[in-house]
Amino acid sequence: MPERVVKPAPAPQVAQPSRQESSRGSLELQLPELEPPPALAPVLLASGRRKQRLRLSVFQQQVDRGPQRLPLSQEPPGNPDASSLTSSLSLTFATPLQPESVRRPGLARRPPTRRAVDMGALLQDLQDNSLASVPLGDSLRTPVATQPTDTVLEDTQPFSQPLVGHSLNVHHSLPCPYPGPEGTEKAVRHRTQSSMPGLQNHMSEAGFATPSLPFLELQPGPPAPSEVTKAKRSQRALEPEDPEGSSGDEDISDRPASPESVSNVPEFLQAKQLDQFLEPAPSPDVAVLSSEPPEPVLARLPSRPRTGGPRPRQDPHKAGLSYYTKLFSFYAKMPMERKALEMVEKCLDKYLEHLCNDLEVFAAHAGRKTVKPEDLELLMRRQGLITDQVSLHVLVERHLPLEYRQLLIPCAFSGNSVFPAQ
Amino acid sequence: MPRRWVPERGMAVSATVFQRKQIKRKAPRGFLRRVFKRQKPHLRLETRGDVLIHLNCLLFIHRLAEEARINTCENKCGIIKKDHVLAAAKVILKKSRG
Repeated sequence: MPERVVKPAPAPQVAQPSRQESSRGSLELQLPELEPPPALAPVLLASGRRKQRLRLSVFQQQVDRGPQRLPLSQEPPGNPDASSLTSSLSLTFATPLQPESVRRPGLARRPPTRRAVDMGALLQDLQDNSLASVPLGDSLRTPVATQPTDTVLEDTQPFSQPLVGHSLNVHHSLPCPYPGPEGTEKAVRHRTQSSMPGLQNHMSEAGFATPSLPFLELQPGPPAPSEVTKAKRSQRALEPEDPEGSSGDEDISDRPASPESVSNVPEFLQAKQLDQFLEPAPSPDVAVLSSEPPEPVLARLPSRPRTGGPRPRQDPHKAGLSYYTKLFSFYAKMPMERKALEMVEKCLDKYLEHLCNDLEVFAAHAGRKTVKPEDLELLMRRQGLITDQVSLHVLVERHLPLEYRQLLIPCAFSGNSVFPAQ
Repeated sequence: MPRRWVPERGMAVSATVFQRKQIKRKAPRGFLRRVFKRQKPHLRLETRGDVLIHLNCLLFIHRLAEEARINTCENKCGIIKKDHVLAAAKVILKKSRG
């Protein structure tokens, strides 16, 4: 019965979140220390939505975790994995999405993209952030970080787009030491400026998801720009409409990983990239980066209608036919060419045409305007499928699933009733 | 959960039962109905008629696949090619003229 089936489903889900909770609670204790590795792990455990901002900053993570902690704390501490925290830290990176997604329905249940979580990278980022905070104070832009950060972000929004894609790459490439930060920083600046116009359209759509992000992120580090550039490159690859992507690629040749990471970088990981973006020093970049988090989510939307725009009349027709072509390839038990499958579709079209014509003739012969199962039976008999040895019921039993068999074959039930009624 | 009329063995009177069966190899009934309507808009199709049409298509595809496989093996090919399918279709369509 369906009810029974549904019941066991929520049970494992409950178990999983409780497990996460316990681990998260243990990790939370370390948060105040601002220890990057333990702090990050619980953050990663955070909800799927928050996972995008996990890398943004330690503060952000804490903020995110705060409200969530309360409702979750009520869950019974499932398993104490505190001892294996360190080991689970790496695990959490890999698997936090899944338990998170299980607890939260909807968007959070997105399939976790392959996140080669770099604990070392995160740690490095955090260290860089801490380091960057010092030099950032010198920059003139820092005062902008306060209230006007939003406005600054607006200006820099166009940049964020290319950066978003790259940030993911940056994350992946974090383990590799980035070369000359100054040079990359300049390159990043150039790119952000150049990519401004391109991103503006995207930025307009993006809102400011986390106003706190801007000034949290206003701790760009010198090493960050290299990451930013990488992220930009990945971003460009991700966002084909962004024309600026090419400019940055030439600047940063030392990051070979970006092209591949770009393809692999999922959009919702872009939020993490934003974290990377914010780290880079220049405030415009920072502002751009801060606006990143809303960007990736919103940037995705425009691409969606583009893909689903054209709905030709053939599409549902082909979709229906594809069912039979799949069956064909299954029955044939041999590899097939694509042209052969198209040929099968054409044959099926023709056959259905013949079928309808024949049914019309049979119904007209019986003086009816409705095609009844008797007409179908007559057709099958004429086709040689039904013989004196093989009856329709035999064929129905052989080829159709139980539900349809019940529909087609009259069966006697208790109380002197027959279904389907004849 | 969609309610489906399912005859309960214990009852004589029809009863609706909450059932959410995930039928494997579901018949594309909507697709078949649409095709029939498009071809013969002046005709009507009965409830169980489209399931039988689906059965008919299944058997047709089955025969077509068999014939195509035979053709391919005769030509000592490892892959079913377009012309194999074409020749098979000619034979089967002629056979199932009705």
